[in-house]
Amino acid sequence: MSANSFNPYRMAQRQFDGVADKLELDEATRSLLRTPMREYQFSIPVRMDDGSVRVFRGFRIQHNDSRGPCKGGIRFHPQETEDTVRALAMWMTWKCAVVDIPLGGGKGGIICDPHDLSLREQERLSRGWVRQLARNVGPLSDVPAPDVMTNAQHMLWMLDEFEAIHGQKLPGFITGKPVGMGGSLGRTEATGYGLIYMVREALRELDIRPEDTKASVQGFGNVAQYAIELYNQLGGTVTCVSSWNQSDQCSYSFRRADGVQLEELRGITDSFGGIDKGRARELGYEVLDGDAWISQDVDILLPCALENQVNAETVQGISDRVRLVAEGANGPTTPEADAFFADRGIFVIPDFLANAGGVTCSYFEQVQSNMNYFWSKDEVLGKLDDKMTTAFHAVSDLSRRRKLYMRDAAYVIAIGRVASACSDRGWV
Amino acid sequence: MTVHFERSFFGADSLVTTIGRGAIGGKAQGLVTVASAVREGLPPERFPGVTVGIPRFTVLTTEVFDTFMEQNSLWELPWSALRDDRIAAAFLRGELPPRWLGDLRALSLEVTVPLAVRSSSLLEDALFRPFAGVYSTKMIPNHEPSPDERFRNLVQAIKLVWASTFFVDARRYRASIGVPDGDEKMAVMIQEVVGHRRYDRFYPTLSGVARSWNYYATERGRAKDGVVDLALGLGKTIVGGGLVWSYSPARPNAPPPYNSTRDMLQNTQTGFWAVRMTRQETHDPIREDEFLVRGGLAQAEYDDMLRFVASTLDPRTGRVVPGIGVMGPRLMDFAPLLKWDEVPVNGVIRALLEACEDKLGTAVEIELAATLERRKGTPAKVGLLQVRPMVVSNEGVDVRPELLHDEAAIVASDNVLGHGRRTDIADIVLVRPESFARESTHAIARELERINDKLVEERRPYLLVGFGRWGSSDPWAGIPVTWGQIAGARVIVEAPLEGVEPEPSQGSHFFHNVTSFRVAYFTLRSRAPSRVDWAWLAAQPAMSAGPYVSHLRLPQPLELRVDGNTGKGVVLRHA
Repeated sequence: MSANSFNPYRMAQRQFDGVADKLELDEATRSLLRTPMREYQFSIPVRMDDGSVRVFRGFRIQHNDSRGPCKGGIRFHPQETEDTVRALAMWMTWKCAVVDIPLGGGKGGIICDPHDLSLREQERLSRGWVRQLARNVGPLSDVPAPDVMTNAQHMLWMLDEFEAIHGQKLPGFITGKPVGMGGSLGRTEATGYGLIYMVREALRELDIRPEDTKASVQGFGNVAQYAIELYNQLGGTVTCVSSWNQSDQCSYSFRRADGVQLEELRGITDSFGGIDKGRARELGYEVLDGDAWISQDVDILLPCALENQVNAETVQGISDRVRLVAEGANGPTTPEADAFFADRGIFVIPDFLANAGGVTCSYFEQVQSNMNYFWSKDEVLGKLDDKMTTAFHAVSDLSRRRKLYMRDAAYVIAIGRVASACSDRGWV
Repeated sequence: MTVHFERSFFGADSLVTTIGRGAIGGKAQGLVTVASAVREGLPPERFPGVTVGIPRFTVLTTEVFDTFMEQNSLWELPWSALRDDRIAAAFLRGELPPRWLGDLRALSLEVTVPLAVRSSSLLEDALFRPFAGVYSTKMIPNHEPSPDERFRNLVQAIKLVWASTFFVDARRYRASIGVPDGDEKMAVMIQEVVGHRRYDRFYPTLSGVARSWNYYATERGRAKDGVVDLALGLGKTIVGGGLVWSYSPARPNAPPPYNSTRDMLQNTQTGFWAVRMTRQETHDPIREDEFLVRGGLAQAEYDDMLRFVASTLDPRTGRVVPGIGVMGPRLMDFAPLLKWDEVPVNGVIRALLEACEDKLGTAVEIELAATLERRKGTPAKVGLLQVRPMVVSNEGVDVRPELLHDEAAIVASDNVLGHGRRTDIADIVLVRPESFARESTHAIARELERINDKLVEERRPYLLVGFGRWGSSDPWAGIPVTWGQIAGARVIVEAPLEGVEPEPSQGSHFFHNVTSFRVAYFTLRSRAPSRVDWAWLAAQPAMSAGPYVSHLRLPQPLELRVDGNTGKGVVLRHA
């Protein structure tokens, strides 16, 4: 899979254009929504542990804030590009709208590989990112969150820097904070659980019992692990997971016909979700090629890693048995693969709906942080289930009613809501 | 019979919906079993103007309980070292399994009427294994504008009911019947409360407990006629052993068993329980009655709830007049219903008993609640809330009248509850007459509890002798024990308090346990043939003696004989 040939921003715009036609949006609205409202790009000089200074490139893109403050993660990734961040910011706008939370879309990132940085260097980098943006983000304008290769610790450093600059306690500035330090219970589980709440509803619609299903999962990070946990609780069996191997710089799939054991795999996984392939072999797992996860004989595919993983090439290997694809990752499926799914009648829960549990819980965290009053986990997850289920029903109802592909139905709802907000505010 | 809860409580086609896949437990199963019989036996045309049914409910199955216990490592709690409130607190800290939270959240979003969150355990399911009143039921007002608050209260009530599985009374209870704690699993019923909102109170016009077999049968009715207890407001008054109106459904207008109107005024209901619909003054989720409030008859009259259920003592004539048409003290004797049949509540109760008895093939005990509209002729609603099988024995026992006066009879009465003969009791737990004082009844209950625990552990059944009404919620009327505190007793003697002729303990749950455990229950009067041989008892050496209670162990077991048909019974010492 070559990242060079794929431009997620162009893909996001193409998707938008298609829906804009369906919604018959006027030119001004199209023009406003197909590009970000604001973009920040800057350099972050960081003193390294060896005394040298390295300059990193940082971004923050605010796609649209007509429905509320921007919301979106901060990614630390060596292959980060402006266009990736633009696309992800746009998807955040649609994601917040499709689950009907009062937020807009944003995304940020730093081109770096945290595997090669010490914790102290990561702290300085995180604080540097905030120093560059302190006037342009905040609890009422743009609320960052963790994303690829960032975590609660990074958020806390960023919050601390932000509060130091502003001379106030502002826990609502950022989400994904540790519990007890302004974080929300249930946040860790939210994206994975949210994905499975949708899978549960989709299976009901397909009239399939969860306990009769098998699934294959791409990725073994936070989203995948909690998705597997809840899916297992519903009675389903995961027979294959894939994960990135840092030392080999490639991914592997780990297969066990009678079902992978979540706790066993967690025990041999590093903090970035990389499974130790030697120990996996010892535990009786077959170690296969990184793309093998997609060709497994299962009912459900859960791509929960990076974008562009299910494409014209890989989709050809999909088993006839597959009935449902739920996209835990952002943008894992290319339009060519989408066309394949539509032809085959495979039910797809599109990324920005399927993985909206994370942002929904981030929104809950933001609300709690602004109140400085925190809910029980029961309350958080109960609300999350309700939000996700309601959103799924709205999309699947529209899909059925207007005979739309699920992704298109989700876009129609989301873009329709954002376009209305822009119009109601008198922007267009 | 049951269908999955599809996030619609009122919209569901089925009477009962389930969350989770395990068992639905005894209470829920009881209602499901009789549902069709009730529907067919009481069609709308049978009692015009009265709608009879089972209020809709959702059950959290035992699978949810199991997952909750496991997920929160609650099986590892050292139960015996923890007080009930600590156990409840540990459960409240537990997190519900995420896969069912959305269902409960949806229920809280949809439903804004008061809910009863009831236990429905696996063992409650077992025929002849009564667990009535052992586990908690919590009523929640569920009318708060914020769905978050409704959800919080619902979840806390569910956790409290689960926690009650391991409260000391419940553990003792299981120990007394030899059931290990790990064998019990708790489903939870979430049921609409039957009632009206009146100002800041929500309650039914009446609650009732009816039994198709009456072990207390006296001159007021035959055993097979059954017995009904009625109370204004929530059923807590009845099941908690409060003052209620007790009558035979075969003779609803029989004269009341009181010697005077003063006696009647003193021994009929004066207060009632309702769900509190105002903001809570305190937050105390581990209390079963956190959201309940007690009212007096004046409040009920202000709420316009006495029209069908009260009579009035006419001060000019000194006579009791059905209804509240004249001024004067109100009396809760349900005369407009039972004497005048203004609404055929008694007919409905008899029909319900008959339908449930036919379906279960045994005598039954039912709990119900009814709302009667203010004006005569407007529809009344009767909801069947619970149904339980009763234990009825047919074994013949010879208790000739002269035996009651026999020298060997250390206890004798012609007002005995139960039936049968046994010869395995050699332990006596005795509240000493010279030590008994009404102001000490709470301390006596605690002393009894300690001895009971020891005897239960040793698996030794015992004879319990005390004063006043056992299990009374009024500490001045008797010893306010819970069933768990005396669960090992197999013969209970209720001796009269000076100046008070005891009415038998009518607290339904207490009573139900007495009958189902085949406990012989002697109610003594101050006249013959009732007697206790105090002198003989005092002469026996005590194994232990506390401030109020002695524990005697006899070298030879006693012989118990009770004839349930005549109500006569004796406890004979070895000659």
